[in-house]
Order: sequence, then C-alpha cells, then structure tokens
Amino acid sequence: MIGEMEKEIIKLKELVSELQDFYFLSIRGLLGLMRKPFYFKDTIEQMDYAGAGSFVIVLLVSFFLGMALSLQLSAELSRVGLKMYTGSIVGVSIVRELGPVVTALVFAGRVGSGMASELGSMILGHQVDTLRVFGVDPLKKLVTPRIWSSIVMLPVLTIIGDAISLLGGYFIAVYVSHQSSTVYWSSVREVFTFENVFAGAVKPFLFGYLIACISCYTGLSTRGGARGLRRTTTRAVVISFIMIIVADFILTRILLYILGFSV
Amino acid sequence: MIEFDRVSFSYGTRRILKDVSFSINADERVAILGESGGGKTTVLKLILGLIRPNAGGIIIDEMEINDKTEDELRPIRMKFSVVFQEGALFDSLSVKENVAFYLREYTRMSEEEINQKVKELLRMVGLEHAMEMIPEELSGGMHRRVAIARSLAAFESKMFLYDEPTAGLDPANSDIICGLIHDLSKNGKGFVIITQKVTDAIKVADRFMVLKEGMIIFDGQKEQFIRTTLPELRIFLSELNLILKDQ
Repeated sequence: MIGEMEKEIIKLKELVSELQDFYFLSIRGLLGLMRKPFYFKDTIEQMDYAGAGSFVIVLLVSFFLGMALSLQLSAELSRVGLKMYTGSIVGVSIVRELGPVVTALVFAGRVGSGMASELGSMILGHQVDTLRVFGVDPLKKLVTPRIWSSIVMLPVLTIIGDAISLLGGYFIAVYVSHQSSTVYWSSVREVFTFENVFAGAVKPFLFGYLIACISCYTGLSTRGGARGLRRTTTRAVVISFIMIIVADFILTRILLYILGFSV
Repeated sequence: MIEFDRVSFSYGTRRILKDVSFSINADERVAILGESGGGKTTVLKLILGLIRPNAGGIIIDEMEINDKTEDELRPIRMKFSVVFQEGALFDSLSVKENVAFYLREYTRMSEEEINQKVKELLRMVGLEHAMEMIPEELSGGMHRRVAIARSLAAFESKMFLYDEPTAGLDPANSDIICGLIHDLSKNGKGFVIITQKVTDAIKVADRFMVLKEGMIIFDGQKEQFIRTTLPELRIFLSELNLILKDQ
C-alpha cells in the first residue's frame, strides 16, 4: 500500500517537474536571442526548413481548403439566393479562423514532428550530451533557433496560405458556381478590415511559439530507443494539435472582446 | 580526481545505482564492466554532471559537483575528453566540422590554423583522408576514431572517458580503437573505459570495477581480476579464459 502511494507521489513529482522544465524551456528558449552567443546560421537554417520546406504543402492544402469552403458555401447560399456573399464568408472564415488554424496544423504535422524527432535522435545519440560537455547550452543552440524560426515563418506561411485559399475560393465561385469575378473580389475586399486582419494576424505568432516549444520539449525529453522516438513524435504532434485548437478558442474569445465584437 | 561517496541514482521508480563508492586517480587506467542496463553509462553521466544523484556526493578534483549550475560545471567537464557511445558525431556536420566544432566555438584560431589542427588530429587517428566525409558515410570504427579526434581537439583535459568505444565493432576495428586508447594514455593521462567487452578492457586497463544491479561487486587490479573466484564474474572470466588460452 505504502509502495503504491510512494509510486504515485513520485509520478506526481515528475509531472510537476515536467511542467517546470517546459516553462523554463519556453522562456529561456525565447529569450535566448537576447544573449550571446547568437546562432544566426542555425536560425537561418531552421527558417529555411520550416518556411521554404513547408511552402508547397501549405499551398496545396490552402488551395483545396479554399475550394472546398467556397463549394460548400455556394451550394448552401444559392438555395437562399445569397450566392453573392460567398466571397465575404470565405474571406472571413479564411482570414480570421481557418487560415491560421489549418496552416498551424500543417506546420505542426510537418515541422513540429521533424523538430521532435531530430532532437529526440540527438538525445538518444548522445549529441546533446556532447554539446553540454563542450560547454554549449543546448537550449540556445537547438531550441532558440527553432522557436524564432517558427515565430517568424508561421505568420509568413499563413499570409501566403490565406491568399491561396481565397484564390481557390475564387476558382470555385467563378468557374463552378458561375458568380461574377468582380462581385467575389469586392466582397472579399470588404472583409479586409483592421479587426479581421488583426484577429487573423495575431494567432500564427502564438501558434508558432506553442508548436516549437512543445516539439522541442518532447524531443529533448525522449527516452527509450526507437520506441521512445516514435512516442515522442506522436506526442509532439498530438499535443500541438490539441493546444492549437484550445489556444485558438481562447485567443478568439479574447480578440473578439478586445476588438468590440458582440457575440 | 574522481570520487563517488555512497552515490545512489534512480530513473523514476527504477533504481540504477545503490550506495556506490569509489575513487579514481587522474593517471589510472580503469575499466568499468557490467551487463547492459547495469548503470555503467549512468556513472559516466554522473561524473560529468549531466545528471544529478538522488543521494551521495560526487567530487571531481576536490570539488563537490552535486549542486553546481551548468555554468559552474563547464570548467569541470573540460577536465575530461569524452567519447560517447557510437561516437555521437553531429549528423549535419562533416568530419572536419565535427573535429573543428570546439575550436570554432571557443577559440580565436584562424580558419587556416583550425584546418591545420584538424588535419593533425585526424592524422593521429588515421583518418586524414576522411575530412570532407559526412558521418553517415563512415563505418562504425571510423565514427569512433573521429569522435576520439574531436575529443582531443576540445581542450587540454586531464583524463579520458570512453563509453562503450568498441561496442558493435568487428575485432579488427576494436583492436584499432584499443590501440588508440592505449597510445593516448602513454603520456600519463588516465582514462575510464565503460564496456561490456572484457576482452577489450583487458588490453587497455590496469584496474577493473564490475557493476551489477547498481552495486560494485568487484574493484581491483588486473591480476586480482583475472584470478578472482567470485561466481558473479563467471561470465566475464569464461570469455577471458578463452582468450588467454588462445594466446
């Protein structure tokens, strides 16, 4: 009985210590850019991997997302004779909600899993220990470049993804639903108010930060060989997905309040 | 140089080391033997302060390291040249960049001087031709030799630490690595080699420690080790007897 209780206490202690470690990694990883040495080359390499490497997949997903959304809305709105609003509803959905969230999910699936597995294999291969023995801070060398590359590149990818989604929506609205091109674009243009753009622009910064922190943390806490690495990668993606959705809800609520929208 | 005083260590609920005590001088050539999962690599990580013990004290060069921060541990770690399991080379860097890693991070040497130093170190391990290769192009033996060259580039250490340097290697490559380990200790710089292969340990070490279930069950000189009658060491000694008979 006492043995079981002892085990539970140890597990609880481990959980608290994990949360504490995650908090330190998130803060120190973010602030690592303010202290020497600066690993600019590593940051650029990570930006290339995260940004340029994800470009095609974001284009593809965004384009089909815009088309599917436009198709659904056109079908539904034409029943009530409001097809001309397709552009504005596609625009609001993409700019404020779907664009940032879907791009972040794609980013977590591709970049987050890559970060976690790379850092995990560095842990298992004792490369992180080697860095520490050489006096190199693994947080500054490995985590800071990944956090900053995600914070910079996810918003860029989101903007590109939003534009491509709107283009996908345009193709369906004009060539399938036979709407006027001018009507589509002018209703899309109406959506580009400060409130809508701001609401959509803030999210990718937070999502990028969350994805990088979660992926780096799970990667650096890898234990137990190939199975451990598989667990790490899965964990990084699943936790990132959940946190993106949860953070999106909380942020949407806060932004709607700040920007004066009534619900 | 290295002193363990009743050190215990656990991973979660799993106990790895129990009240382990020993001391090693800087000029000693020590082999730590034991079955896999017996806590050998944990000992090496504790020496370097990469993990902290749950109980007991670790003293390196008369300095207790248990409560030291990462910054305070840096000079202590620099007292050792370390070769981790399978070499632990950085995958994304070439052999040359791996060996030059420390020189680039911490010295003000020019690119020309770094090149010269890297060539010299790779010549010592017989790999000057592999400078531009990347780790995935290297064989297991070459990996370890590059790792040894890299550890030599790092700093003027007092002692070497080798973690399973011959694991997974064929006898010819194991011999090369053992030869290197032996040569590098000729100038009086000692080492701790962690291994499961008693046949390799016997070629290089003078003192033997055997870990079993988190405890040291044997600690003595080579002659004592060969003549021991401890039943727990039967596996190691039967392997050794075969080799001695062959010789």
